Amino acid sequence: MPVEPLNQEELLQSDRQLAMVLDLNKCIGCQTCTMACKMLWTRYEGMEHMYWNNVETHPGRGYPKDWQRRGGGFKDGRAVKGDLPPLDDYGRAWEYDYQGVLFEGKSPNIQPDEGHPRWGPNWEEDQGAGFYPNSFYFYFPRLCNHCSRPACVLACPRSALYKRREDGSVVLNEERCHGYRFCIEACPYDKIYWNAVRKISQKCIFCYPRVEQGIPQACAAQCVGRIRFVGFLDDEDGPVYKLVKRWKVALPLHPEFETEPNVFYIPPLSPPRFNEDGTLNDQPRIPEGYLLWLFGPRVREALATLKRELEKVQNGGRSELMELLQARSYKDLFKLDRPPNPKFNEYACASCAIAQDCTSPLKARTAGAGLRVLARTGRG
Amino acid sequence: MTLKLNRRQFLKAAGAAALGLSLDLRFLLQARAEPMLISDYRSWEDLYRQKWTWDKIARSSHSINCTGSCSWKVFVKDGIIWREEQAADYPAISPDIPDLNPRGCNKGACYVEYVHGDQRVKYPLKRAGARGEGKWQRISWDQALTEIADKILDILQDYGPDYLTFFSPIPAMSPVSYAAGGRLATLLGGVICSFYDWYCDLPPGEPITWGVQTDTAEAADWVHSRYIVLWGSNPNVTRIPDAHFLWEAKYRGAKVVSISPDYNPSSIHADLWVGIKPGTDAALALAMAHVIVKEKLYDEPYVKEQTDLPLLVRLDNKRFLRESDLTENGSEERFYVWDRKTQSARLVPGSTGSEQKTLELGDLDPVLEGTFKVQTLQGEVEVTTVFELLKRSLEKFTPEAMAKECGVHASVIERLAREFAQTKPAMIIHGAGTNHWYHNDLNNRSMILLVALTGNVGKRGGGFNHYVGQEKIWPIAGWKKLAFPRPKKRFQNTTLWSYVHGEIDDRLRGTEWDPWPYIEESVKKGWMPLYPKGRNGKLYDDPKALIVWRGNYLNQAKGNEQLLRNLWPKLELIVDINHRMDATALYSDYVLPAATSYEKYDLNSSDLHTFIHPLTPAVEPMFEAKSDWQIFRALAKKIEERAKARGFTRYRDEDFGVEVDLSTLEAQFTDNGKLVDDKAAAQFILDNADETRGIQFDELIQQPRRFKAASEHWTSDVEPGKTYAPFLRMTEKKHPYPTLTGRQQFYIDHPWFIELGEELPTYKPPLEIEKYPLRWNTPHGRWNIHSTWRDVKYMLRLNRGMPVVYLNPEDARERGIRDGDMVRVFNDFGDLVANARIYPNAPRGQITMYHGWELYQFPDRSNFQATVPIRIKPTQLVRYGHLKFALNYWGPTGVNRDVRVDVEKVS
Repeated sequence: MPVEPLNQEELLQSDRQLAMVLDLNKCIGCQTCTMACKMLWTRYEGMEHMYWNNVETHPGRGYPKDWQRRGGGFKDGRAVKGDLPPLDDYGRAWEYDYQGVLFEGKSPNIQPDEGHPRWGPNWEEDQGAGFYPNSFYFYFPRLCNHCSRPACVLACPRSALYKRREDGSVVLNEERCHGYRFCIEACPYDKIYWNAVRKISQKCIFCYPRVEQGIPQACAAQCVGRIRFVGFLDDEDGPVYKLVKRWKVALPLHPEFETEPNVFYIPPLSPPRFNEDGTLNDQPRIPEGYLLWLFGPRVREALATLKRELEKVQNGGRSELMELLQARSYKDLFKLDRPPNPKFNEYACASCAIAQDCTSPLKARTAGAGLRVLARTGRG
Repeated sequence: MTLKLNRRQFLKAAGAAALGLSLDLRFLLQARAEPMLISDYRSWEDLYRQKWTWDKIARSSHSINCTGSCSWKVFVKDGIIWREEQAADYPAISPDIPDLNPRGCNKGACYVEYVHGDQRVKYPLKRAGARGEGKWQRISWDQALTEIADKILDILQDYGPDYLTFFSPIPAMSPVSYAAGGRLATLLGGVICSFYDWYCDLPPGEPITWGVQTDTAEAADWVHSRYIVLWGSNPNVTRIPDAHFLWEAKYRGAKVVSISPDYNPSSIHADLWVGIKPGTDAALALAMAHVIVKEKLYDEPYVKEQTDLPLLVRLDNKRFLRESDLTENGSEERFYVWDRKTQSARLVPGSTGSEQKTLELGDLDPVLEGTFKVQTLQGEVEVTTVFELLKRSLEKFTPEAMAKECGVHASVIERLAREFAQTKPAMIIHGAGTNHWYHNDLNNRSMILLVALTGNVGKRGGGFNHYVGQEKIWPIAGWKKLAFPRPKKRFQNTTLWSYVHGEIDDRLRGTEWDPWPYIEESVKKGWMPLYPKGRNGKLYDDPKALIVWRGNYLNQAKGNEQLLRNLWPKLELIVDINHRMDATALYSDYVLPAATSYEKYDLNSSDLHTFIHPLTPAVEPMFEAKSDWQIFRALAKKIEERAKARGFTRYRDEDFGVEVDLSTLEAQFTDNGKLVDDKAAAQFILDNADETRGIQFDELIQQPRRFKAASEHWTSDVEPGKTYAPFLRMTEKKHPYPTLTGRQQFYIDHPWFIELGEELPTYKPPLEIEKYPLRWNTPHGRWNIHSTWRDVKYMLRLNRGMPVVYLNPEDARERGIRDGDMVRVFNDFGDLVANARIYPNAPRGQITMYHGWELYQFPDRSNFQATVPIRIKPTQLVRYGHLKFALNYWGPTGVNRDVRVDVEKVS
């Protein structure tokens, strides 16, 4: 391991940049990504309210509430002051008294321990804006943008945040973090969270332990809508390069925040509106102004490209872009430049858990004390 | 479960806390200047590398009624199930077709919560208070089985086997676990309840028109379509693992149209969304058919060969012209067309009574239009074709007239009709949104008419594909042999059983739709079974026991408040076998702890794909849980033991003419020791079905396998490299349809159909029984599969944490309701309390609650079914040709949505 001194420049540099493209025209708002991330990384104490990956309905106030109006990032190169969202703006992770209601007959119903909740991470699900029959909405999955100009890294007095040299992921050193929370204020996407139990900030790690083993991030690998493409931004054969650089249909969210995100979105098309008499109007339901606000002026060209290529295939033609977006093979969605670790698909033999005479070395490790302890205490 | 920090993490956290929270500037500066090497600096990264470790991976799936059938990796760490992740290793059907990976959903991603969560049933429990009170006594397995066995023997001795009722849904999700109870029920002669019709998932139009329970294309086939209509279907929410195929079809050039009253989550990606008034779908479909017939956009050679449209009908009695009309001793099941060449009525091949089992017309040239005279045994009668009758009947369904009914502009109807007829292949993806209505059979038949007229049935990328419920059990022969090991069974349509024993007030008495005269006739004539059979001239008797496993009968039952009031007191024994305390368990006398999907062996398949994969135990069943197979085996053993002790080892089942021998019950259950293990039972299914014969269970652990063949139960073959789509045997091999006429049958000449004016597909408006302004809509949701996962905190946290209703903003404003308020929904049947979501995407007059909330999630224990009765349509009680009662194939559906309510703010 080379020994190098640590300095601010070092923290911002990376040799390569891993990036992600999310196709909003395929996102179904199922939140499998949200659960994949939650169950893998943020089930620990103090993290209950955290969704490193969340999906919100747009237009809406989002998670945390009003994050788009809370400052952070830069304007004309100068840092913009941000604020610290209170826990209520994330939503409290409700607990329920199953034991009392179902096994002890203490009260008729389980209900959130908060009483009457007023906000949560997906409070505005499916609502959107506009008026029937011309209302509109779409789903917006969000994670850390692993920016090339990360405001959080620059804001941290402890130098606890940095870009990983080998893949450009922005991570937070949980051993160095002293909980000042300047990073939370600095991030215009509000994608850094406060752990009140450990008194540190925590954030998306772009699943580096997986990526290092050739396995895509949980939110991408588990995305059942197959909307997420992962690859290095400089890899001209990778899907990310093709969508971002060649076809220019994938755009950063709120580029005016000036942090240079490395998560990109394919903007949403929408079905036509109706005139007052019930006849069809050929205007899309999502107003262009809304998409301009989210993605900036380049969204016009991206939408025009998508429409043009869609028309090609509707008329029986071929389109390389449509082929790419279709991604016939699940594996085509990802290009990590290293083979997946085979251990990830190593299934235990059929009788492992129950056979008494099993000779597999796995047996000794799985039938151990843990189970019995769990059974005795009755606690998961 | 909230994971606890391990010791190392805790020490670090404590250290960080001690140093932290100081905003002292000097300290800040000092911190910045602290010398550090990059290698040391990054050593913390091991923290997360160590978290992403495990000891072993088991392959399993989820025994859930969702049609997902997704293969998952279950990660075990320190002997405890840590998390799950999609296995994502389904083989591709062909390189051209998008593969199924990574099949799974948000709910599957937190099933582990059911293994460790606080709702888990850990030990055998006996009720210690009133039913539903939630007070329990922990008892031993031996005590539980002894008391249950004794009660079962009491009922057998005092009443008879048809007083014992068994309910479990959806064998496909875990056929061994289903078969466990089915097998014991069959051996005892107990009543085995249906589910597919009861849940109103059965599309009655499919048995009526095609003689099949349901046969649908696998989801991968959608990509072959050029025009997809989502009709009352919301796959982005209800078919999460399959939805990608839709949007991939779009990227291949298909147009996607969504027809739904609300701008729902699937409509947002469609090329066109059509907002329709709730319950008026047949009006739209028939207006489209009107355009297609008027503009001659139908596929004439196809309808002549594949449908009953050329068959002749007598104008005097509206019945098909049959061979028995023309010749002495002629068949009732042979039918005629008018042949253009010979200008005469000639018999067509392929009907039930025909010796020629083909749809090939040979030298026949049937006409579609005209009126003809035929000499019958009773003299000359005028006949015409079904097509001619249809054409006349469609005359009134003009786009202009139907626009007023369904709220869709005539120009949009015409455009839909033309695009649908002229873009091939075209398919309808059909959902509960149109199937859960009283006139669901008319909705189905009108839509099937569209796909048949345009020649889209029996084509890949085409057809009417109904995806509600999981009726399809691929290795069906093996499962039947395991679950029902005797030739005679007491199968029961659950809708009828619940309706009569629950003494359901449906407000239909005295209306044109009063079902009672029809029920009495149907039961008396033996068209529909009704158990327990009435003694002393009564139509039926009261049931005494209900045993439920793998399902939540009470919570999901239409009219469940009436069932609790009227049915529950009749039941002397209610047993629920469950891994979690659901509403049915809560209202039971005994709850037996079942293994979760991660603790047992079983199989798993779905009608949405053509692969099979296993459930395997990642850990041994926790606490005192056992698999369903072992529970029923133990119960069989205990019944045998108690029967011997009581000296009641044999009884005669008079109806079946057999002696039931209880002294060898366990041996009968295990087939003399061959089926002791769950895994052996699973292998038995594989070995006894054409679809899976030759596949070893252990092979499935390595990778999901595609079915090897499709037995006679299906209407197409499973072909390597090609997607499964139904009715290809009919279009490609000219096999007849399993209907009376051997064709897609749009004309039903049963007297009740004729009496009600439904011999052809027609439109009838939704019911207007309750005088309330809002239509009550209870679709399937994103956060639940019926009641499963409704109670899981990880899912609750991602919606509003409590039951929620969706209201149009104007409807809300008129009632002073704001977003987030608590509201009361009510009608004459009942009421419920929920959180209000203002939903601009809904039309006025519709209020929606995504279904499945447990009774115990409401302060007064009234859920989404409190406002819903059971309503039975007479046409679904008949016996006719191919329409004979069979479990989950033909029987009344009960419907969920044809009710009206109002809503008010609660303070």
